[in-house]
Amino acid sequence: MLKINKLSASIENKKILNGLSLDIKAGEIHAIMGPNGSGKSTLANVLSGKKGYEVSGNARYLDEDLFKLDIEERAQKGLFLAFQYPLEISGVNTSNFLKTSLNTIRKSNGKKELDALEFLKIVKKKAGELKIDEKILSRQLNVGFSGGEKKKNEILQMSLFEPKMIILDETDSGLDIDALKIVADGVNTLRSKNRSFLIITHYQRLLDYIKPDFVHVLMEGKIAKTGCSELALELEKAGYKTI
Amino acid sequence: MIEELKDTFKNFNKKFSKKNTFAEVRADNFEKFTQLGFPSKKLEDWKFSDFNRIILNKLKNININLNQQNEFKFNDYIKEFEHNKIVFFNGFYNKHSLNYENEEKIIFDNLKKGPVYNPQGKNSLNLLNNAFFTDGLLLYVKKGYRCKKPLVIYNIFNTKNDNNFFNQKIIVNVEENSKLDLIICSINLNQTPIFLNTSNFYLVEKTGLLKLFNINELSKKDLNYNFNEINVMENGVFENFVLSYSSAFFKNDIKCCLKEKHSSGFVNGAILANDNLHHEIKTNIEHIGETTKSYQKVKSILSKNSKAIFQGKIFVDSNAQKTDGYQLSKAIILDKDSEFDSKPELEIYADDVKCSHGSTSGSLDEDAIFYLMSRGLNRSDSKKLLIKGFLDDAIETITNLEIKKYFLNKLENKINELS
Repeated sequence: MLKINKLSASIENKKILNGLSLDIKAGEIHAIMGPNGSGKSTLANVLSGKKGYEVSGNARYLDEDLFKLDIEERAQKGLFLAFQYPLEISGVNTSNFLKTSLNTIRKSNGKKELDALEFLKIVKKKAGELKIDEKILSRQLNVGFSGGEKKKNEILQMSLFEPKMIILDETDSGLDIDALKIVADGVNTLRSKNRSFLIITHYQRLLDYIKPDFVHVLMEGKIAKTGCSELALELEKAGYKTI
Repeated sequence: MIEELKDTFKNFNKKFSKKNTFAEVRADNFEKFTQLGFPSKKLEDWKFSDFNRIILNKLKNININLNQQNEFKFNDYIKEFEHNKIVFFNGFYNKHSLNYENEEKIIFDNLKKGPVYNPQGKNSLNLLNNAFFTDGLLLYVKKGYRCKKPLVIYNIFNTKNDNNFFNQKIIVNVEENSKLDLIICSINLNQTPIFLNTSNFYLVEKTGLLKLFNINELSKKDLNYNFNEINVMENGVFENFVLSYSSAFFKNDIKCCLKEKHSSGFVNGAILANDNLHHEIKTNIEHIGETTKSYQKVKSILSKNSKAIFQGKIFVDSNAQKTDGYQLSKAIILDKDSEFDSKPELEIYADDVKCSHGSTSGSLDEDAIFYLMSRGLNRSDSKKLLIKGFLDDAIETITNLEIKKYFLNKLENKINELS
């Protein structure tokens, strides 16, 4: 699905990723943990195409050179980033935005665009499944949303777009236990043999609900250790110093 | 240009005023205009819009030809909602229909024969209007009558080169406890650039409600100065929205006086200046009565060598205790060639008041663009969505839902034309 080879990234001459390699196969869930400043969010940004980074190394996504794809092409081809800090976009109605995005993605994949009624039916169903209050649909995108509502909105988008490669950038941080379960349910519902996840997190907590196939420790811009889900428990007890 | 204008005025006044006694008043106004000339940036009110230079650059000459005959077939330009209409063509009354209303309660006359005002004040374009105005509207909404549908004043132009200068007045009196939604829609059907100079006066009497909308569909070469003076009496409400996206030069000048207690004025607008446009909204809200309220929100988008200006003043008289004044101007500048100037002013002589103002300008938020693109939208569509969201926030202030929807659609079409 996604194969990253010796990826380095720097911003304003400061090296953040330093030769990171990672191979995520279809159906796998990978978790990346690491101390503050180790490059976790940079990895998410670089993979989804954010400008401003100097990037070297390569990444193949579905057998294409990921770095040759524009931001929107990556999204249209099924790469999804759930933002750590979803942006507040004033004046843009959440429901209209979701419909526009979904139809753009559908269109680029040769699928029929949904009309307003079809869309509403689907979005309400998804929101219901994720126990998300429908009211957020009629509000401006993320404007005045609580931290939890913003994260739930990311999960709603994830389940609506049905992407192939999902990156969750600290989606669990700042969530109470109920919201955390909603996020985990969203991920577990989508889990399938054709879909992969890269879960970036600070805490082991989320991994109580989503069992990863691999846990990686990111330190100083590269993978310092890889293990199975027990590694997360060890880190929780002993901290990163032991790595 | 002023020398040529003197000849134009002589001919005009001879021809137009021969049957009435206003020739002298017009001449006085014109005389005072020639002393002042077109406003230049030396004047505080015009410091960001050097009209003297603009008119010389944009129009080689300005002429009035009262004999010019042009074809005109009226279309209902606004089809989206039912409305009454009064149509002006090339500056003169053409026709009307007030079918939705009780015509004893909404009364109008054209202003072919007057009134003309004695010269006063230092606004030279108002003096010029007094000297040259040809026609306009005197409208009364009678006491207690609440109009059922909006009234659209269509101001339509289709002219040739030797007739490109138009001066009009609209005078509206919304009497006690009456209500009117008024839309002034100016349209130039031709490519001949015109200079439209209007001076409008509105009186909102006790518990009256006037919603005034201005939509400018003039061409990209036209110049339009639109002066509005509004007096609001006890418990009266004045709501104004200007949607401004065409005309090489457009200045909407609003002087709203909240004369008596509990009166309020809402002056909002959206400017989308793309491709060498110069648009200004200038407001002067005077709180004279006690417990008066004003609210202003103006949002501007600028691109391709355009300029937008917001000059907003809130004046609070020493008697206007418990005034509540709010003013916000925000602009997004899409490229380096464009410019936004803002001059917010508060002048407060009472001590128990609540007044605030804010003004910001900047570029589109790249992080927001990234967020939208990461959801599959291309860069251009992401920018348009952000621009629309930014301006919609101002349009949300419109309290007539049909008109709000109409303006939203107009704006969306204009945004989609952006490259």
